Amino acid sequence: MPEPSDPFTSVLVGFAAELRAAGLTAGTGDVLTYFAAMTPLDPTDLVDLYWAGRATLVSRHEDQGVYDQVFRSYFLGADAPAKSQLVLRAQSVAEAEAELVMPATDPGPEEDQDQPHLGWMASGADTLKHRSFTACTPAELAALHRIMTRMRLTPPRRRTRRTRPAAAGSEPDMRATIRESMRMHGEPPGRLFFRQRKTKLRPLILILDVSGSMADYSRHLLQFAHTASHSAARVEVFCFGTRLSRITKELAHQRVDVALEEAARTVVDWDGGTRIGASLDKFVRKWGRGGLCRGGVVVICSDGLDRGDPEVLANAMERLARLCHRIVWLNPHKGDDRDFRPSTLGMMVAAPHIDLLLSGHDLASLEELAGLLPALN
Amino acid sequence: MEYPRTVTELTESLRQGGYLADRGLATTLLVSLSLRRPVLLEGEVGVGKTEVAKVLAAVFGRQLIRLQCYEGITTSQALYEWDYARQMLQIRALSQAEATDEQSVDKLFGPKFLLERPLLEAVRRGDRAVLLIDEIDRADDEFEAFLLEVLSDYQISIPELGTVKADSSPVVILTSNRTRELHDALRRRCLYHWIGYPTAAREAEIVAIREPAVAGQLTRKVVAAVHRLREMDLAKPPGVAETIDWVRTLGVLGETELTPDAANDTIGAVIKDRDDLDLVRENLAEIIPGA
Repeated sequence: MPEPSDPFTSVLVGFAAELRAAGLTAGTGDVLTYFAAMTPLDPTDLVDLYWAGRATLVSRHEDQGVYDQVFRSYFLGADAPAKSQLVLRAQSVAEAEAELVMPATDPGPEEDQDQPHLGWMASGADTLKHRSFTACTPAELAALHRIMTRMRLTPPRRRTRRTRPAAAGSEPDMRATIRESMRMHGEPPGRLFFRQRKTKLRPLILILDVSGSMADYSRHLLQFAHTASHSAARVEVFCFGTRLSRITKELAHQRVDVALEEAARTVVDWDGGTRIGASLDKFVRKWGRGGLCRGGVVVICSDGLDRGDPEVLANAMERLARLCHRIVWLNPHKGDDRDFRPSTLGMMVAAPHIDLLLSGHDLASLEELAGLLPALN
Repeated sequence: MEYPRTVTELTESLRQGGYLADRGLATTLLVSLSLRRPVLLEGEVGVGKTEVAKVLAAVFGRQLIRLQCYEGITTSQALYEWDYARQMLQIRALSQAEATDEQSVDKLFGPKFLLERPLLEAVRRGDRAVLLIDEIDRADDEFEAFLLEVLSDYQISIPELGTVKADSSPVVILTSNRTRELHDALRRRCLYHWIGYPTAAREAEIVAIREPAVAGQLTRKVVAAVHRLREMDLAKPPGVAETIDWVRTLGVLGETELTPDAANDTIGAVIKDRDDLDLVRENLAEIIPGA
């Protein structure tokens, strides 16, 4: 570790504090690693300071944009706190200025990337306003919560490659057999031990429509998503109106009101227009292709009122159907109508790829979903 | 060969091994070499994550030990396993008196009957190895949790034999394609680096290092075409590996110019999806200008 000449220490500690203030999780241990990382490097070289920090304090690709921003303002800005305290090689500052342009213009967090497209993507209904999910009436909330905590979403199971000891099975358990043999002083054991393949819950992916036409249902759906993400093994939750946002992390909070508030902050197009095709297409490209929904059950909740090109929706649905195990579509307009026929263009286009169509307009229908889910094998 | 002490030396050594590392990657690797922290590499498909470990091992004369992860990978596939068949034979060969003997039992669970798997091998070899844990996101959560223990202490306990500890820790490189979110605990134990697509000039340089026999002009044209492909709305955009493949394919066919015809015949080297193929074939004239 470089002899921590005091200004250097305080600058790095201050930098970590700035990062924390900007929302990154840079723990004390990480800062210590940052110090240690500077040992083989040159502490007066700004480029080294940048990259060592990025390797030790950032552990997610999504956080890189924030890191770059904080670094820029902390080390390079006009009234940067580091400038007065730290002696930096003048040449390295120039180099860093030149090099930092590159990472900063990197396609960083997806939000930045989307920004320029919004002009033509949004049809005008893209209101991009923050709307609080917490506007539920207390009585409503309490009742829903009580019922929903009773609800258990159990996705179907599938066999994994892992095995467990079993009375009978497909593979002999050599380890157990040898152990038994040792116990009998080397005699072959009286019986063979077996292992059997384990089963595992399939991942469950909820994709919820929060656009204007679905606003009345969206609040229930988010409650539902929160319960779901706490009951089954692996649940991913996405929201879309005109664009797709992933809210799995935000919903991870135990307390429902905190979780919904967090989610509300992430979803910016609450109550806006609908672009199902584009949103599902984005889901398939960005998440599905990576393997997020492979072998999983995808539950899409939307009325199918799409303002985009139906062909985009058809292609996205076809791809999605090939990627995941089953697709369930909840359409609140179906209601309790047994002979419901999809009337919107979006629904008609999507229909061939849907394995199960339910309504999801009230709690009873959500319970119906919970009941049917385990059997979707 | 000793690991270098400066970023410049490391970059130069890697370049001699045929790998062009940018400043960020080189710095991260240097820090990892001096602190002996594992590096977690994430990035687009085919940008050379796995290659880093291979080149590191080759250039510095270390043994590359690769653990390819997959769902359901268990300790007996990653750590060690007892050679049950040989143990069984040995037991049969023992007489009654010998079988009750402490020593023969010890022998039965001794190094002779232990099958080393990649992690144990890496811990045993210590600094003489580069351990590549490839596509860690394909393994399941259980395995990731188990890996934490190995990566923090570089020691493995085998109940019958005792604890094996690395006298010097190996260099560890983990790669992930982000099909699944890794746990924070694992991330926190690693240095993190994201490898993105290189700029056109840099990619041409990379291809030139890997395929020196191919004319620079052809290389630049291919790289330009690949960059246009990446801008298109493809389901699976090509990585650097695909660029190299394409150049190599054209080289094998003896092409000296990237004509639309040549591109049409060899497009399978870069585009690996039917829908993408249709889209690209339609727009071939824009992708390869001067047709």
